[in-house]
Amino acid sequence: MTAVAVIGVGQTNYRRAHKDKSSRELIWEASKMALEDANMDIGGIDAIMAGIAPEALSGEGSVERGGMMGVGKPFLRINTGGVTGSSTVFAGTTYIQSGRAKAVLVVALERMGQATSSQQVFNTIFDPVYEKDFPLTTITMAALRASMLMRMYGYTEQHWAEIAARSFRNACRNPHAHLKLDITADDVLKSPLLAWPIHRYEACPMSEGACAMVLAAEDIVGDRNAAWVQGAASTSDSYAMGDRIRRPEATLVDLLSLRLSAERAFKQAGIDRPLEQIQAVELYSAFSSAEAMAYPALHFCKPEDGPRFVEAQFSDPSLPKINPSGGPQGANPVSATAMVRIAECALQVRGMAGERQVADVDRAVATGQGGATQFSTVCVLGKKKVH
Amino acid sequence: MSESELIEIAGQWNFNYNYFAGESASRFFRELRENQRIMGTRCTKCRRLLVPARAFCDACMERTNEWEAVGPEGTLDTFTIITTQFPGLPKPPIVMAYVTLDGADTALINLVHGLDMSDIDKAARRLNSLPRVRTKFIDEPKGRITDFSFELI
Repeated sequence: MTAVAVIGVGQTNYRRAHKDKSSRELIWEASKMALEDANMDIGGIDAIMAGIAPEALSGEGSVERGGMMGVGKPFLRINTGGVTGSSTVFAGTTYIQSGRAKAVLVVALERMGQATSSQQVFNTIFDPVYEKDFPLTTITMAALRASMLMRMYGYTEQHWAEIAARSFRNACRNPHAHLKLDITADDVLKSPLLAWPIHRYEACPMSEGACAMVLAAEDIVGDRNAAWVQGAASTSDSYAMGDRIRRPEATLVDLLSLRLSAERAFKQAGIDRPLEQIQAVELYSAFSSAEAMAYPALHFCKPEDGPRFVEAQFSDPSLPKINPSGGPQGANPVSATAMVRIAECALQVRGMAGERQVADVDRAVATGQGGATQFSTVCVLGKKKVH
Repeated sequence: MSESELIEIAGQWNFNYNYFAGESASRFFRELRENQRIMGTRCTKCRRLLVPARAFCDACMERTNEWEAVGPEGTLDTFTIITTQFPGLPKPPIVMAYVTLDGADTALINLVHGLDMSDIDKAARRLNSLPRVRTKFIDEPKGRITDFSFELI
């Protein structure tokens, strides 16, 4: 199978609203930067994949129309909720691996700044028959899991606050980040309570912006600075959260889909000792509890050792650096967030991450979490080509 | 005229829909309205009693067949207390929880009423003990999931 590399990355800045740019202009700006980074023009691109999640967040139907760039190319629009961005990358990767394209432009847009009530929009993504009458939103969904993790594995509000504060501090070194806050865990705990146990500064911001990447088959990479896709896996889980609460093989907070994705992607990449073989991790953790759920799924520790793993990150420099970009707490352009994780890993592997660069990155791992955690993706990027 | 003025165009999505519940959920809702009973359906393969009732088990891809009533009591599995008002959503404080009703193999979500909310941390501690709850129906059930809620026993 053809090896695939990321050879170009483009990101707009992420912020609450880009009133100076239309949706099309955001897509174009990120795409143009990715092409320039790849030293290519649109003529060299064989196919375009555009990732955009619920349209009601932008209030524009078929907002992917902004992804029409160049002419005469296969075009796909992808929507898998929170993992829209990584699904889009995987669609592009698969196109190249199957021999249908040599170079694919993948782009993801979030335009939620146009919505005046995004949590109300998020309520509409739930089942209209049994769920939509309740205040289910991205925030309350996370809160239901956070309280379960506290009871099962001993996390405290302090752990949630430490994780959030670390991410916001990391975001200060990322020029693209939306919320750059030099704050402590105390500041997080003192911020208003949104939905117990989640405080204002433990929730991700609402951000918009676009992210794009150029993916290339090994025979056209040439001498470009490349981050090789060593492993990529995407798995789903049963939809109903209530069906997973007491499921013996994996409860709602055991993230079966992320564990399966990690096992498959790690196998492809030849990773069997993740803590030693991975230097940087970009987690799709819009809330601290999502980060905690990822530790055991990525085989970083046992579930019950999660609270200690949070503490170890601050004292053990040999552990992989988690969310050097600030992660989704620094910026959460929902449709693009999972692609941003992969883009940030590509920058780390290519040594292009500026002030947020982690030293000596050989491999970086990006996750994606979508829907009611029924979609998960894991992508391993590295300096070396793996077949 | 300002050279840097940015124009915003007002927009609104306000479409009307009728969501089709389908046969299984319709029966579930009729049972709520007429008998104040919460029903589950059993998967013919994994034998789990799925609540609320549905036509098939998505994990097994098999039909459900037997209908069985569950509850009216159960155990709270997890919860959140919504403390901030979000535009377009109900007024806080609101307790929302997953409860596994006696006899069921899955949990269902609904609101929890009747808890003293003057001290949120104290209320959270009480809910953290995973208390037993009972279903409480409204006076005139309409055949909707909101016909009942939970209260602590």
